[in-house]
Amino acid sequence: MRNISLIFKQFSRSVLLVAGLVVCGLTAHAQTDAAKGEAIFKAKCTACHKIDTRMTGPALGPQLTQETDDAYLTKWIQNNQALIAAGNKKAVKIFNEYNQAGMTVFAELSDADVGNVITYIRADWKKIQDDKAKAPAGGAVAEDKGPSSLVIWGLLGVIVIAFIVILVLNKVIATLERLLLNRQGLALEEATEEEKAPADRLATVKKLLKNKKLVFFIVVCGTIAMGSFSWVTMWNTNVHQGYQPVQPIKYSHQLHAGAMKIECQYCHTGAFKSKNASIPSLNVCMNCHKSVKTESPEIHKIYDALGYDPNTAKYDSTKAKPIQWVRVHNLPDLAYFNHSQHVKVGNIKCQTCHGQVQEMQEVYQYSPLTMKWCIQCHKRTEVNGKGNAYYDSILSAHEKIKKGEKVTAAVLGGIECAKCHY
Amino acid sequence: MDSNKKYWKGLEELNKTPEFVEKNKHEFAEPIPIEEVLSGGGLSSKTPRRDFLKALGFGVGAVTLAACQKVPVHKSIPYLIKPEEITPGVANYYSSTYDGSAILVKTREGRPIKVEGNPNDLLSKGGLSAQAQASVLELYDTSRIKDPQQNGGDSSWASVDAFVKSELAAIAASGKTISLVTSTVHSPSTQAVIADFILKYPTAKHVSYDAVSYTGIIKANQNSFGKAVLPHYNFDKADIIVSFAADFLGTWISGEEFTRQYVQNRNNKSLEAKKMSRHIQFESGMSLTGTNADVRIAIKPSEEGVALVNLYNALSGTTLPGSRKLTTANADKAIILVATELKAAKGKALVVCGSNDVATQVLVNAINSLLGSYGTTIDLDNPSRQYAGNDGEIVDFIAQAKSGQVGAALFLDANPAYDYHSAAAVKDALKNVRLKVSFSDHADETTALCNIVAPNHHYLESWGDDSSIEGYYTVMQPTINPVNNTRQAEQSLLVWSDNAVKDYYTYVRNNWNNNLLAKGGLSGQAGWETLLQTGFVLAAPVAAGTYTFNLDLNAVAQTVLNQSAKLAEGNKVELQVYQSVAMRDGKRANNPWLQELPDPVSKVTWDNFAAMSPSDIKKLGLEEFEVVTIEANGYTVSLPVLSQPGQAPGTVSVAVGYGRTAAGLVGNNVGKNAFPFLSFRNGTFQNTATADLKGTGDIFPLSQTQTHHSFEGRNVIREATFTEYKKNPSVNSGSDGEHEKYDLWENTNEDHIHARPVYDWVMAIDLNACTGCGACIVACSAENNIPVVGKDEVGRRREMHWIRIDRYYSFNNDSNGHGISREKEIAKLTDFDNVTVVHQPMLCQHCDHAPCETVCPVLATVHSSEGLNQMAYNRCVGTRYCANNCPYKVRRFNWFNYWNDSRFDNYLNNEHTQLVLNPDVTTRFRGVMEKCSMCVQRIQAGKLQAKIEKRPLKDGEVKVACQQTCSANAIVFGNRNDPNSEVSKALKSERTYYVLEELNVKPGIGYQVKVRNTSSELQA
Repeated sequence: MRNISLIFKQFSRSVLLVAGLVVCGLTAHAQTDAAKGEAIFKAKCTACHKIDTRMTGPALGPQLTQETDDAYLTKWIQNNQALIAAGNKKAVKIFNEYNQAGMTVFAELSDADVGNVITYIRADWKKIQDDKAKAPAGGAVAEDKGPSSLVIWGLLGVIVIAFIVILVLNKVIATLERLLLNRQGLALEEATEEEKAPADRLATVKKLLKNKKLVFFIVVCGTIAMGSFSWVTMWNTNVHQGYQPVQPIKYSHQLHAGAMKIECQYCHTGAFKSKNASIPSLNVCMNCHKSVKTESPEIHKIYDALGYDPNTAKYDSTKAKPIQWVRVHNLPDLAYFNHSQHVKVGNIKCQTCHGQVQEMQEVYQYSPLTMKWCIQCHKRTEVNGKGNAYYDSILSAHEKIKKGEKVTAAVLGGIECAKCHY
Repeated sequence: MDSNKKYWKGLEELNKTPEFVEKNKHEFAEPIPIEEVLSGGGLSSKTPRRDFLKALGFGVGAVTLAACQKVPVHKSIPYLIKPEEITPGVANYYSSTYDGSAILVKTREGRPIKVEGNPNDLLSKGGLSAQAQASVLELYDTSRIKDPQQNGGDSSWASVDAFVKSELAAIAASGKTISLVTSTVHSPSTQAVIADFILKYPTAKHVSYDAVSYTGIIKANQNSFGKAVLPHYNFDKADIIVSFAADFLGTWISGEEFTRQYVQNRNNKSLEAKKMSRHIQFESGMSLTGTNADVRIAIKPSEEGVALVNLYNALSGTTLPGSRKLTTANADKAIILVATELKAAKGKALVVCGSNDVATQVLVNAINSLLGSYGTTIDLDNPSRQYAGNDGEIVDFIAQAKSGQVGAALFLDANPAYDYHSAAAVKDALKNVRLKVSFSDHADETTALCNIVAPNHHYLESWGDDSSIEGYYTVMQPTINPVNNTRQAEQSLLVWSDNAVKDYYTYVRNNWNNNLLAKGGLSGQAGWETLLQTGFVLAAPVAAGTYTFNLDLNAVAQTVLNQSAKLAEGNKVELQVYQSVAMRDGKRANNPWLQELPDPVSKVTWDNFAAMSPSDIKKLGLEEFEVVTIEANGYTVSLPVLSQPGQAPGTVSVAVGYGRTAAGLVGNNVGKNAFPFLSFRNGTFQNTATADLKGTGDIFPLSQTQTHHSFEGRNVIREATFTEYKKNPSVNSGSDGEHEKYDLWENTNEDHIHARPVYDWVMAIDLNACTGCGACIVACSAENNIPVVGKDEVGRRREMHWIRIDRYYSFNNDSNGHGISREKEIAKLTDFDNVTVVHQPMLCQHCDHAPCETVCPVLATVHSSEGLNQMAYNRCVGTRYCANNCPYKVRRFNWFNYWNDSRFDNYLNNEHTQLVLNPDVTTRFRGVMEKCSMCVQRIQAGKLQAKIEKRPLKDGEVKVACQQTCSANAIVFGNRNDPNSEVSKALKSERTYYVLEELNVKPGIGYQVKVRNTSSELQA
């Protein structure tokens, strides 16, 4: 029997080897074609097409799988205008279907190039569909993997309860043991020793308590500690430095502002011209996310809010419902703050007050936003009036007074009440 | 030379009534009952130690619990798709039109929050009336009708349209009249829509009438010159203006425009050129215009006609049959003197009359013709379109409706069930009308009688246009999407008449493309877009022609004199019905800003009253605020009596616009309706009647602000005559003799706290330009989120207005030209009928040595390096020391959270109305002080704009709200450090003085001496 299995092993190995080589060769051949096609596809087609979804043009995967007439496809891709002009039925139909917006002409592509592209698209579409077929099971597994917070808390609870049970049981055991020992009259000596030691300790405490100076010292220290603690606590009432609420969409500044290096004011357009920096309206998101990361569930929240259907690229305003972001930076109503004054006129970087937002996964309140914080900055920040004609007369008027001292915002009246409170 | 003239705000101040003295002792009329608490059971009773500990324990516990509360989560909801032109936090301005004036509407995030005048407006050049300022609040009125209604229940537009169309078709087929009842329509497009409607339904008729009518003038011009128009008056071209009961600075035709014109010959610029117009007013009740007159002569309504006949006689040298002397010798003499002056100023004179009687107006035409006014001060060729109603039409309509000839009545901007003199007749007549449609967006008195309500948009939601003066066309554009399910009345008319143009916007566009744009040299899409920016087109005016009156006056004089004689019949009181400056014809009665605006003369808020002369009140044994019943024309009304110095003896004046029963939450049952006192005589509505007057003994206190915030008799008014001024421009201003100025602080040190290196914001107020109209008060309320407190609170002296207009009476000079001291005058009380008036806007003076600042224990009010007296609300703890120490009495205390207190439901206590608040100004909390900030939010915004554009701040770029709305340009604001600024120039005027200068608080607001162009001859 053993021999048979060995023989079988060897045989199967060689068969597998051969089979593997054959498969490798085949795929290698397919890869070269598809790779060429992929390169061309990425360079020329992705501006308007995707394989699995409709963008400006149709979703190419299903389109090219349905359409098997490669000659027609090649002609269409190379010069669709000619086909339409010639009155090809299929061409005219799709032309009309897409609001008579013709496709770009790719006369530079050879028949082979086009063939490669078609091969790539069909292969890729097949792959996507295969993945999809597998996905349900895999997806379910993936979902199960992430334990819900309820489970975690449940586990924690079980652990805590178990710990308590153990403690109680320990205690019970200890009591039982002592009872046993007592009955046996063994532990008496130890017990007397234990009693003696606490009495000694108490004696030292009593001795110390009689030292009035020390008691006074301790009381004073205690009062100071408690006082300063409550002082600090009270000063920080309603100061929410570090406030990091959970937002309705998991938007990452780290990704957008950090990795992608998108300018802050691309989205926060108000910062340069208004008192509000303003949270971008969703049409700003859609500038990119009409085609970027369209499958992400977070992006779909944007689509849902807008009533946008990515398959038809149509908006349905009746389904639109605004996104309610949670405000991170809450200045009280009694304080007037104007972004444009600071960002545009004062040339202050966003990060000065908001921290390294480009490194924040989720935004939190970086600065305390207290009046003390405002005033300190106004006292320290030098006003740079160079190149701004507004400041010419103002600085000259102040230079008379200050005689070369540094001109801070405070010197120009930046800490007066009615600069912020009205 | 210091004048020894006495100024007083009210008779209680003059007579030092005990109540006044007591109330005036304290800054706040009702002291907080601390003493009661202390003397009563409160703290001095047996020390309840346990109770104290309990309270303490509970307090600490409660506070701790309260502090545990999580800070509320604030949501930020951005636009889904942001309109390109909106930047959150930045205001957009749209040009539009209000009642024929070009305006700018300030919107924030798509909601209108303030109306401002268009600086290029033909009428008032950027000035705006209190009504226009207040109109934005009505957009957010919660009493507005929210859906179309059919037979009293909510309905849909489709069902209303189907019903109305079938009804109209049936009525037209039956041959019955379809009456479209409107107040004057001066919008060209609306007129065209109505014309189209009439084309579709040939039995339709447009009935145009105005609650307060000018039919008399229109008909008189038809009679005299064959032109049925309301002339365009040019008060700026008149050197002498004689007005017979025409309140042309207030309510007469075009108050804001006339104020602008009038002041041009009386302001600083004119005075420096040694030019000043003369203005003589003959009237019964004291009107806003009367208070501004150089000479005011009180005459009874019955003497107006006699006086006009006498004036004509004196001017023409003839004697009309039946002429007789006036009953008072003083007035008689005055007419002769006025005639002499008028003759001397031929071609530069203007006589106007407030009467709506055709014969009287024909006589006035004859006088003006003698004076050569046509073509100069009166323009008949570019007429006003502001009022074109015909009183006969509404009378006919009611008669026809009663007889069943009217099948349908449509009411657009018309409320005859309230403002027609016989509401019962209207109700009666409408019973016989099959289809009654109201376009009102409020469930007003007429709407209650209608079976269909097709609510109209507010004008800030509407497309449209307007034309107040011939050749001047303004455009109206919406600034917000309709708040409720309303539809523009014009749109409804288009739908109901199956017009080819389905949409009123297109209709307006077509009308402008075809007819109006070309008048301003514009055309096409580009022209329309230009129009939307500029707001108006102005066709080149036609040259004003001269017209001569050459008809026989004998019959006219006879009619006038007969009417006068009839009015004076019996020993009755003569009743005169007038429009109050705040409430006008009562269409805006549901506007709390207007209700709380003190009447410029009487200073009464939230009520109308029977104004009588103090001597009459004494004679009839009445008390102040005693309710009297007035019966005239078969209508009786009970109103509190108010003693009004300057009122002609034997007369009583009552304002219309009050007594609405279906205006809304605010306006219902405020005052009493005086429209029923009007009567239809000789083809027009007349506002005079003979009345029976009886006291009832009941007292109905009015909330009158006149003696609130008193100066305790300190001399704050400086006045001079034009003759004195010409001799010495600095007369009475106190600036002619240099006096040494003392300072508590060392001022030489440049590091001094009071140094103002760059800006020194100050203000100059020309008392000679201010007419006292009060538009600034409403503008300030709109800009600075000032709460409305209601009648009861005003009665407790708790009104919150940051700017008030103090109205001072004083006795006329005696024959020697000397001021009359009080002691001498008290004896002869009749002279209360002969007083002069000065209006003084009073607001925080932003003193350099502010007394309020030194007493604040928490430094909540301090001075800025720009000369502003700053108020930090969130630092204020409400000791009210500052108000006590303010010599100008301009600080206001928040007794309540007016925006979150059910007692103030009629104003801001709902989220919808709060949308009108200016988001750049905080709403103040209960228990803090507030006061004029010199619109610091505008100063800051102006500076920021300059910084962003990298240029210096220009003079005049920052305008404060009160200055902006002032048609008279009485208020100038700017930087005193800039020697070329308007305000610096104004303050350099010799007339400049500072109120209570002697206190050395160094106020930042300079006033300019009131100059009166009197002549000693005219004063008896």
